[in-house]
Amino acid sequence: MNYFLWILVVLILLVIFRVIKGPTIWDRVLAFNLISHKFIIFIVIFASIESTTFLLDLAIIYALFGFLGEIFLIMFLADRVRGGKEE
Amino acid sequence: MIEIISNVIISIGIFFLIIGVFGIYKFKDFYRRLLVSSKVDTVGAITILIGVIIRHGFSFFSAKTLLILALILILNPLTAHILLRTAYVSGHLLENEDNKKGD
Repeated sequence: MNYFLWILVVLILLVIFRVIKGPTIWDRVLAFNLISHKFIIFIVIFASIESTTFLLDLAIIYALFGFLGEIFLIMFLADRVRGGKEE
Repeated sequence: MIEIISNVIISIGIFFLIIGVFGIYKFKDFYRRLLVSSKVDTVGAITILIGVIIRHGFSFFSAKTLLILALILILNPLTAHILLRTAYVSGHLLENEDNKKGD
């Protein structure tokens, strides 16, 4: 059961490498989205191994606020990348 | 017995995640990467969370996991759509015949 966590850690490291390497800024935002998604699954599996229910609240809150943070990040990037020129 | 079943289901979900990460490195264009990875990740999350629910049977734990499953089902496609639309609107060109570069 523990090796699931190790596989997830390796996957997260691979996606972190994609954040560093990503040519455009949008690849980085996409990779960041995938990292937070995998981290939620990591928490759920870890909570299932320890079978403690309060860890799942962590995953719920992290899912919600991660989503919020990303929306504001994307809105900020949209203005900055376009350089403020209106179509 | 239930332990084995849930382990098999969770490993299938992990396999989906591996395909998602592989998809990121295989495709060269941002849009193809997003298309593959967001879909495969959502499916992987569904499989893993169902495996966890089976493992814990009928309890508060699986009720919370069901809530997380619903959240992921709603939030992940939404994030992918917002990301895609903003990238396209703010001038991240699609790679097509006339502009081969696409970035």
